Amino acid sequence: MRDQAEPLDFRTLPADDNVNDYTFCVALDGRWFLQKGKMIAYYGQIEFHGVGHGPLDALIASSFHSPLHAADWVVAEGSGKMLLADRAFDVNSYDLTDGNLTVRSGNLLAFEPSLSLKQSIIPGFLTLVGTGKFVAASNGEVHFVEPPVRVDPQALVGWADCPSPCHHYDHAYLRGFLGGVRSLTGIGGASGEEHQFEFTGEGTVLIQSTETMLADRETGNVPGQAGVPGGQQGQAGPGFQRSYG
Amino acid sequence: MTDFRLHGSKVLAVSLGGDAVKAKNGSMVAYEGRMAFKKLTGGGEGLRGMVSRRLTGEQMTVMEVKGDGVCYFADEARDINLVRLSGEKLHVEASNLLCTDSGLRTGTTFTGLRGASQGNGLFTTTVEGTGQAALLSTGPAVLLRVSQGAPLQVDPGAYVGHQGELRQSFQSGVNFRTVMGEGSGESFQIRFEGEGLVYVQPSERATVGGDL
Repeated sequence: MRDQAEPLDFRTLPADDNVNDYTFCVALDGRWFLQKGKMIAYYGQIEFHGVGHGPLDALIASSFHSPLHAADWVVAEGSGKMLLADRAFDVNSYDLTDGNLTVRSGNLLAFEPSLSLKQSIIPGFLTLVGTGKFVAASNGEVHFVEPPVRVDPQALVGWADCPSPCHHYDHAYLRGFLGGVRSLTGIGGASGEEHQFEFTGEGTVLIQSTETMLADRETGNVPGQAGVPGGQQGQAGPGFQRSYG
Repeated sequence: MTDFRLHGSKVLAVSLGGDAVKAKNGSMVAYEGRMAFKKLTGGGEGLRGMVSRRLTGEQMTVMEVKGDGVCYFADEARDINLVRLSGEKLHVEASNLLCTDSGLRTGTTFTGLRGASQGNGLFTTTVEGTGQAALLSTGPAVLLRVSQGAPLQVDPGAYVGHQGELRQSFQSGVNFRTVMGEGSGESFQIRFEGEGLVYVQPSERATVGGDL
């Protein structure tokens, strides 16, 4: 039972750690990348600049390789303590050591510039490469599982190292004429669990404990080019990217 | 004697011994004992309060709960934060105020530009006196202390309330890049200086300035 909470101040706030399950505190001394609107409060001298800000050119060139997400990100610059949170979702920080981790773009809150951000070839996901700390949100606690595993598309938060992500459809369900009609129209009843993401190979898969997702942002769609998966809207595989909103 | 207690983080249990509390209309979820519920027109602040609430847009539908026993309150599974006041003044948005005990008075006050940036209007609710109040927040609120030399900047969408001797000013980072569509998304902040406490929630309301 929690009565009146203990007040925190500049000194008692944790440095680069969680304040509670839903709030993370960054001890800023330099620069951090931050998704817009995830900062809830700060102490100290901090300025926020859009990614297009001229003096940040060198930093962007080394750490931000996702022009399609540029409108969603800012750089926090200065020194102080900054609180991050996202729609009262659970937030966690992760440390990468010369590694890689791919995460749903809406779930990534902030990252250290020693990491570099790239767009995953899986639409709607971002990959962080390098060494450093980042903060990501999940609806409910994050669970780590090892491949081989099949994951509900809505419960997937991300994956680390190199498992191969692919679609898996329960074949029995799609077999025959009636199965085809079912899968196209949804008539005839479906358990809603016929389609999963399948991971095989070495690595870790991150799942959240609820299937309600953060609203996908319209920005960050991959360009409509030949050979780019998911590039043409409406021609992507069924149930992928757009249809779980 | 009125006693406020939390059951988990989302249900408030108020023990009443013949006295009354004011609570957000319709927030009762259960009670033990005998209770009487009465809708208070105009926030229970009399005719003057009613008119000023109507004029300021800081409307608050409040009921008076009186009786013997325990009454449980909750609102949309939002988190509840208890505040004990001994003479200080607490500022809070009307939509975030769940319950106040009989030792507290509520009123409205002008907030200036901060309110406009939050999309909550130019006025806020004040709670004064000695007693307990319960505030609502989306996710458990973080309580941050502001002291001399350590001012705090808060995103308007995450602000819940504050108490103590605080001066608030509106800080804007709007520049030509904002106009060019290169905004930082964190263009507006409320800056608190002085001595006091600020309640911040781990989520943001949709605000007018939120996209800039």
